[in-house]
Amino acid sequence: MWIVRPARHEDLAGIEKLATAHGARVSTLPQSRDKLSEKIDHSQRSLAGDPALADRERFLFVLEDSDTGRIHGTAGIDARAGNSQPFYNYRRDELIHASHELDVAKRVAVLYPTHELTGKTLLCSFTIDPELRDTEAFELLSRSRLLFIDRHRERFSDDVVVEIQGVQTEEGDAPFWDSLGRHFFHMDFATADYYSGVKTKTFIAELMPPNPIYVTLLSDAAQAAISEPHEAAARTCQLLEREGFRVSQHIDIFDGGPVLEARTDELTSITRRRNKTARRGEGSRGVRYLVANGDSESFRCSLTNVSDGLGDVVRLNTTIADQLGVSDGDDLVLVAL
Amino acid sequence: MLLIRPLNQGDLEDLHDMAEGAGKGLTSLPPNRDLLSRKIARAEDTFNERCAPEAGMYLFALEDTEQKKCVGISGIEARVGLDEVWYNYRLSTTVNASRELGVHVRTPTLHLTNDMTDTSEICSLLLSDTHRQGGNGLLLSRCRFLYMADFREFFSEKVFAEMRGVSDENGRSPLWDALGRRFFDMDFSEADFLSGMGNKSFIAELMPKYPIYVPLLPEPARAVIGEVHDNTKPALRMLQAEGFNFNGLCDIFDGGPVVEAFIHNVRTARESVKRHVLVSRQPVNLDVPPEERVMVSNRSFRDFRVTTLPKSCIKPDTVSMPAEVADALQVSSGDLVRLSPLKENRTAK
Repeated sequence: MWIVRPARHEDLAGIEKLATAHGARVSTLPQSRDKLSEKIDHSQRSLAGDPALADRERFLFVLEDSDTGRIHGTAGIDARAGNSQPFYNYRRDELIHASHELDVAKRVAVLYPTHELTGKTLLCSFTIDPELRDTEAFELLSRSRLLFIDRHRERFSDDVVVEIQGVQTEEGDAPFWDSLGRHFFHMDFATADYYSGVKTKTFIAELMPPNPIYVTLLSDAAQAAISEPHEAAARTCQLLEREGFRVSQHIDIFDGGPVLEARTDELTSITRRRNKTARRGEGSRGVRYLVANGDSESFRCSLTNVSDGLGDVVRLNTTIADQLGVSDGDDLVLVAL
Repeated sequence: MLLIRPLNQGDLEDLHDMAEGAGKGLTSLPPNRDLLSRKIARAEDTFNERCAPEAGMYLFALEDTEQKKCVGISGIEARVGLDEVWYNYRLSTTVNASRELGVHVRTPTLHLTNDMTDTSEICSLLLSDTHRQGGNGLLLSRCRFLYMADFREFFSEKVFAEMRGVSDENGRSPLWDALGRRFFDMDFSEADFLSGMGNKSFIAELMPKYPIYVPLLPEPARAVIGEVHDNTKPALRMLQAEGFNFNGLCDIFDGGPVVEAFIHNVRTARESVKRHVLVSRQPVNLDVPPEERVMVSNRSFRDFRVTTLPKSCIKPDTVSMPAEVADALQVSSGDLVRLSPLKENRTAK
């Protein structure tokens, strides 16, 4: 049975395996055991409500196969993007260069360096065993975070953003980076990406060009990569779009990948979720639902069949109830798969 | 004899022929009779004090007195950027450094500026192919510094020249193709022509206002920033010998450099001396090499005249000259003239 729960230190080896084996990049999941360990620690302190972490709470969840105890995926939430540091993006914009005398008006695309997404809630650190990409576990892992946000709404911002991985060649080069960032950072994409995972973001402030960039001066390949998701991210994009996410004006400063954004209270998982009272007993047939129980450290989310009537009570079979830590009378959150 | 004098409407056809022969790249003088005629009219207004001398356009003709023909022109714009907006790029450096990562990156950056506003520009130098020898180019260019030396109050302390940038035989400019053209769908030669017609500031309004990071430009464009056209190299060397230096600015279209100097440091002005004219009946061999000649200016605002004499004519208090030269300069014995070497004496340095 698949279950999503907060990451613990025992998960370190499993998470590290995912972080390093993973072909696609996840800069918020650093490829360093120490940094991963810090990340788990940070998540646990955030869950415990450590007041020292106000405004920089970060949560990390894992997808566990409860039959084997193995970790098959990770998903994270940064309560405030940037974690009290600036969060960098480019914003796509257009200027009109016009001359009345020459009767010309031309649209000029520009990228503005910006911090304006700083402080919004960020979904991040998503990795999953490639074999599970097309299964319901993928959806469970991604959407369970939204149910967590719903259960702890006051900890999160009114807006949620997600950075989608941008275009890369088979060799691992990013055309957007090669045409822009490389000139200023004097390092290849993989190195910059590594640093952004393990270093503070200070180096970005120090090295990023401070002035707007005219898109027309970038290479054709770089221009084509602006706001274009990596092929491997297609499924993630589809899922997020169903949740109500839209492509924003913002892009990643490294690979030019799109930033998706949504209003927290308008996310499908949140508007359609229902609160029910649990009753342990016989399982029901019904249809597939995400079911979440517990708060903070005890948050659990899984998939099960529920025949959801009009009543306030929902029946769960004992196996899943045990996995979710459900006692009779607990408040559950449900949303259809 | 070759004589510098104010340009007038009688020179229109000669000027048109020269402009036509000059081809692409001479922004300030397109072969267009209306425009050239307007320019001449403006110069005439300036010399005749029908406009403020500080706002004047001083255009000088090089006349071949035997042929009675204008064979070259040069000019001074007393102030640029007062009616329209004068644009240049400043080639400056942006440094980004991260101590933590041990990275220190210098990025050449072009900033759009109006820094030359309210400054005097020497411009519009054009010499007919038939007369490119014997120091005629030097006379045509340097006579302007003699003029400025006598009328300093009408010009700014600093004087500059925009040098023609790199373009190929088809009139294509690598910088324009990589930069200007991206913002303004037009060939360089066409944009250049429009500039000459007085539309440069309109085009400039369509150009990018934010700084341009030079590494984002292709190599051929980067290579021509601050570089002059091969045909302009002699003119650049001549100005460098006068004390002009690249000031970090360049043309927004073709990247040609701006060179500048303070007028009191310009060699022709600095080394000039005044002498009283002594009209002499002794024959003088005027046909000596440029190194052995001096320019002689009559110091007249309205009827400025300059020609050259052998250095041997200079005496402690006077300069002697044959009557024909005195007539050409419109001076007589006792008048005070200004003298300066036509060509720097390399061996003396």
